[in-house]
Amino acid sequence: MVCSLVVNGLKVQLGSSKILEGVELRVDSGEMLGILGPNGSGKTTLLKCISRSIAPAGGEVLVCGRPAREYSNQQYSRTVSAMLPQWPSGFSMTSGEIVLMGCRNQTKGVWWEGEQELEVAKAALKVLNALELYDRDFDTLSSGEQRKVLIAKSLAQRTGIIVLDEPVAYLDMKHKLEVMNVLRALADRGKTVLVTLHEIDLASKYCENVVVLSHGRVVAAGKPREVITPELLSSVYGVDAIVKWDEEIDYPVIVPRTTRMLGEEVSCLR
Amino acid sequence: MQIGVKKLRLALYLASVSIFFCASFIASIMMGSLQLSPWEVIDSIISPWKDPVASSIVLGYRVPRVLFASLTGFVLGVSGGVIQTLTRNPLADPYITGMSSGAALGAAIAFVMPSLPYLAVPASAFVGGVSMLVLSIFLAKKAGAGSMGFILAGIAVGTFASAMLMVVLSIASEKAHGIIYWLFGSFSTSTWMDLQVASAVSIPAVAFALYKARDLNILLLGEEHAAQLGLDSRRLWLLMLIASSLSVSVCVSFCGIIGFIGLVAPHMVRLIIGSDNRFVLPLAGFTGSLLIVIADDIVRNPLNPIAEMPVGSITSMIGVPFFVYLLIRKGKSFGM
Repeated sequence: MVCSLVVNGLKVQLGSSKILEGVELRVDSGEMLGILGPNGSGKTTLLKCISRSIAPAGGEVLVCGRPAREYSNQQYSRTVSAMLPQWPSGFSMTSGEIVLMGCRNQTKGVWWEGEQELEVAKAALKVLNALELYDRDFDTLSSGEQRKVLIAKSLAQRTGIIVLDEPVAYLDMKHKLEVMNVLRALADRGKTVLVTLHEIDLASKYCENVVVLSHGRVVAAGKPREVITPELLSSVYGVDAIVKWDEEIDYPVIVPRTTRMLGEEVSCLR
Repeated sequence: MQIGVKKLRLALYLASVSIFFCASFIASIMMGSLQLSPWEVIDSIISPWKDPVASSIVLGYRVPRVLFASLTGFVLGVSGGVIQTLTRNPLADPYITGMSSGAALGAAIAFVMPSLPYLAVPASAFVGGVSMLVLSIFLAKKAGAGSMGFILAGIAVGTFASAMLMVVLSIASEKAHGIIYWLFGSFSTSTWMDLQVASAVSIPAVAFALYKARDLNILLLGEEHAAQLGLDSRRLWLLMLIASSLSVSVCVSFCGIIGFIGLVAPHMVRLIIGSDNRFVLPLAGFTGSLLIVIADDIVRNPLNPIAEMPVGSITSMIGVPFFVYLLIRKGKSFGM
């Protein structure tokens, strides 16, 4: 399904603190958008608004041109899938069972999954190179493996729009690349992909566009090469760094300079 | 778990539960003041004219008794599994959440009221059961603290209901003996009429829970995940709460409080085949039936049929050590 995701002036307030203050963004089908920003900048809250876990205080989320709140649960689950970092845990479920639950949006009221759903679930794990986790107990997996299973569950929903909150957190370098490659390939095949990332270099490599959040506001947006500058890293992340774009492999190299020498401050912690 | 291994385990479990269930089911009909051989039992059912006395005992008392015990076990097993899923708490059970005590209180109030219709007792038990369950869930949410909050809320609500029950007992002292006996759980007074009423309510409720088993699985992932998969979790919560309270309350109103079956049965099944509710719920029901029929066999006293032990005491004696074991082993992973 071809679909666009538009966020218009989104505002979220929790208690007296404003988490999001008028966030605007747009992702079209076939595009992968990276959301960058330091911890506490509102990335996860933004994704929770998009997945309808929390209701915004102002502004709206438009999915295929229609406000998200107008969808029924069932319709929405067939349009937008979200991978949010909340661990389903406690009852020992196998990874396969969890991924299969992703298929539930397509087959409401079916008591038993059919061959086709089993295939989808296995394919979702397979593209992530995690098929061997199928029969493993989810609770016994490492954080990185659990993350892969949750991504596979989102993929098994087979929606036009996929949003993922830090899909490559806890993963090692090879697995980070695997996951990003899969997301890129899905975007290239017409899906609308939105990811939050802490890995600025990966975002620059894989996403057409990035949006940088800071204190609940969009402070920069556009092509990674134009957005990711030493000035931005310094003003948003507070990190003094050198940014070099390697033309040959089309990849940014970000080298932080030492931030601050600590001497006396840590001595009492010895 | 590999699919093949799972199928094998499932088959072995089902076979052993079936064998033990049949054995204890037949034993239950044989035992009592009049001891019968298996052949006499079969004779008394298929050709009642041969021995009218034995036949009337078998068909009038023992068959409804063992059927009612099986039904109650099934209901408690399934409801235990459902409540554990709804609360995402492996230590929940109709007894621990205060639901059974609430149902008992409701039933006792209707019991001591003069000249109420027959169905008033189960109806009042339902009101008591559902209100205590809702109260303990509400308190647990207010208190936070995960599993521990839930158990503490259940204890508080259950103790309160028991205290109220004592007040009811002391007011209606002339009926107190009957209520106390019933309170600890017994099937010795089960009749065909009880069985009909209880089945009419609890079989549809249990069937509905089984029908929703796949959606219940999704609830195990948590409410946010469930919503993303298109599940209206609030509605399912409400429906399941009604279904399990209805079925448990109606059974409790006839046979009294029988604790820990709803805790033990689903866990036994999960150990064998994992936590897919499409397996867990029906098998937990079946296991619950087996456990209760065995417990009901143990309590018989062939020398003095009047001095039977209450079934609830047997299930609690087995269930409490199991609960403690789970508390120590599972508790750690639940933020307790």
